[in-house]
Amino acid sequence: MTGGGVEDDPRDRAGDAARANAVGAGELGFLAAGSRVFAPGAADSSFRAAREWARGLLTANGPVPLVDAGELPPDAMVAAVSLVGSTTAFGEYLPGGDEPVRAVRALEGRLGERIAAVVPLNTAAENALLPLVAAASLGVPLVDGDGTGRVFPLLEQTTFALGGVTPAPLALAGPLGDVVVVDSAAQRVEELVRPLVLAAGGWVVAACYPARAGKLAESLVPGSVSRLVAAGRPGAPRAVAAPYGVRVLCSGRVTAVEQGPEPGPGRRLPSRPASILVREHGGLARLIRLEAYNEILMALADGAVAATAPDQICLISTADGTVVDVDRAAAGMDVEVVVLRAAPAWHTGAGRALGGPQVFGLGVPG
Amino acid sequence: MSAAGWESAITVAELVHGGPLGEAVLLGPRDGGGEVRDVRIADRLEVLASITPHTAVVLTGAAAEGGWAVEMALRRAWEQAAACVVAPAAAVSADSTGSLAVRLGVPLLVVSEDPLITAVRIATAAARPAAARTQLVARCAQELARAGTSARRVVGVLNAELAGASVALVDAAGTVLAGSRAGLAGPPLAEVAVPGPGGEELARLRAAGPPRSPGWPAVVAAVLELAVAPLTAWAARARLAAAREAAFGSALLDRLLRDPGDEGALRDAAALGWAVHGPLVAYVLRPVPPLAPEDLARHTPGVAASFDRPLVRHEDGWAGWCPPDPGLDAALRALPGRLPAPCSAGLSGVADGVAGLGGALADARAASVVAGSAGTLVRADEVGPAQLLAALPVDTLAAPARAVLAPLLAADRDGVLIATLAAVLDTGSPTAAAERLGVHRNTVAARLDRVRALGFDLEEPAQRLALHLACRVLREERGQ
Repeated sequence: MTGGGVEDDPRDRAGDAARANAVGAGELGFLAAGSRVFAPGAADSSFRAAREWARGLLTANGPVPLVDAGELPPDAMVAAVSLVGSTTAFGEYLPGGDEPVRAVRALEGRLGERIAAVVPLNTAAENALLPLVAAASLGVPLVDGDGTGRVFPLLEQTTFALGGVTPAPLALAGPLGDVVVVDSAAQRVEELVRPLVLAAGGWVVAACYPARAGKLAESLVPGSVSRLVAAGRPGAPRAVAAPYGVRVLCSGRVTAVEQGPEPGPGRRLPSRPASILVREHGGLARLIRLEAYNEILMALADGAVAATAPDQICLISTADGTVVDVDRAAAGMDVEVVVLRAAPAWHTGAGRALGGPQVFGLGVPG
Repeated sequence: MSAAGWESAITVAELVHGGPLGEAVLLGPRDGGGEVRDVRIADRLEVLASITPHTAVVLTGAAAEGGWAVEMALRRAWEQAAACVVAPAAAVSADSTGSLAVRLGVPLLVVSEDPLITAVRIATAAARPAAARTQLVARCAQELARAGTSARRVVGVLNAELAGASVALVDAAGTVLAGSRAGLAGPPLAEVAVPGPGGEELARLRAAGPPRSPGWPAVVAAVLELAVAPLTAWAARARLAAAREAAFGSALLDRLLRDPGDEGALRDAAALGWAVHGPLVAYVLRPVPPLAPEDLARHTPGVAASFDRPLVRHEDGWAGWCPPDPGLDAALRALPGRLPAPCSAGLSGVADGVAGLGGALADARAASVVAGSAGTLVRADEVGPAQLLAALPVDTLAAPARAVLAPLLAADRDGVLIATLAAVLDTGSPTAAAERLGVHRNTVAARLDRVRALGFDLEEPAQRLALHLACRVLREERGQ
């Protein structure tokens, strides 16, 4: 497994979905680019910080092996690694560098055994890079796959959870040196972690969803890391990053962004709801309404449901092709509304129950 | 107004504009949508799948949880041909949700009260449309009673209560006396005549706007009818006040002329803003042709209102006075176009206080007589003999003149005797007359002997003036 071998992979030339077997400093740029094809934050200092962090480690320690979950011994312990909290805080409160190691070590301490590999919880922007940082820091391989196939706002919204893996015990390591281990019932995790993250400085690295490789292989969305590396290569079509299908819902202009009320004390949601109104250019000139909580959860076209979570709905700026963060959408922007079909695990009864819009109080009649 | 119209199904626009949902904000199509025959409360969006056309859908609970829910409801309402969607204000953003309502053509009523109460109101109106319309008429009656007899307030009530319709009070010339000019646009929804106190048509009350339902024009007509009596009363009151004011001014002037030292009259005059001390000039407007006294009285308020200085009825016209003012001339010259009757005008010279007012008024009146034709102003201090003579009413005097001169006219076949007589009277001596006529002095003397022989005595002062006038009139009449 060498970093330079990726370009020579015969499957690349066959036009097949590219499959890397290691991520080195050379692939990092592609992975970074691929991680933003359907995720916002290209210009964010937090993203640049994560990329430079990974670049330093890969340059010093060499490439990180990329393995399929099935290639690992079935009883090998694997943990998911993710950034939890505000990416803005991450960009301003830069990491000390040992957060992933501290988190994983704490989790290992709780589990009483070592971690054999790291798997991304999701592969959007920073979250594609931090597991790589963790694997490089720990000297373990990175599993080629992730726990969502997209991004969800809640820790428990993963295909791991759908496959019966629980997020806890989990360990959090923050930039101020804090390490917290949380061991609780799955549905309590979100509530416990949110205030801890705030107290720890706004962001933490979480090591969570500890699972045997055999169990993990059944529940993860496979191939996500190598897919992003392929999607990030210059000239690669956008669709490479959307293996289950992508469609353009409409092309139009944002006419208004409406902030919803602060969530009440009973709501366990990480942010305020927002509505983004888009008027379609040409065609039927439909009025598109996007309902968002961190992520866009539902798209209405002239009042009819056009797309909902668990499928991923994102706004892509017509001006520069970058993904527009929900928080940065503003009236006057020309955008494409794009819908990425979610991994098959999400299109089951349990998947829709965990990732559907009703989780956020958006009841969609049958 | 037909009973059928009153019983026709109530429309969304009627519910909102002055109807039982008067507090609601209507978003969506401008023309306000169609009939409402039923109402349905939807606490879940699934309920909308089973509604019938012409139903008003009232959203509550989960169906009103946010803009997205209201938009989904609008969409379903559109698919089911519902009459309208009613949503609580908290769930609606006017901009985006309103745009979709416009796009789908589904009226969206945004209410602040409990939607369940709204549902009851709609149900009542839909079940008994005539009662709902009667309620509007009753409320209008109440508001009109409050408005009293002010035309502006009465028409204001109509425009406020008949929301969506524009009401104007228009006179025969098409001038809007009160209300909105939009009331003249397009075919009228309803129109009623407003009689004056004497029963003559004073103005028309006209309402224009979209005909929202078969029953709407009848309702509007009923409401306009309610406004007729207060408007007639308004006209009567306005006239009464004007007439009273005119009579008071005229009486006050008489008192001042009778006794310039009457302190009460002076005080009253001062209260009206009339000048009572110092130099003043008087002016008189004299109707041409003359008006009958009742017409003078009728026009007095109009005349008084058309001038920014005092004008009261005086003798056969109108008079007023003020301190000498360089702008007065121009103001009087500009006046005729604004007067309700054609007038000539006279302006006196400067008099000293109220004591000189009688004389000044007489001068001004004489000047107005000299001015003669309508629209002409003559200043008394500029009137000369020629102007006085020119002002002689030739038509009136021609017959008496011929009677006075009858013997002379009968004897004077070629007119030389009349011409000689006029020349002698004009010039004052036979010598000068001979010179003007171009004959010998003895010829003039011989002709004068013949005139004397016919019984005319030129040396007798009274006869001499009458003869002179008669000659002048006949010569004017003949255009010489």
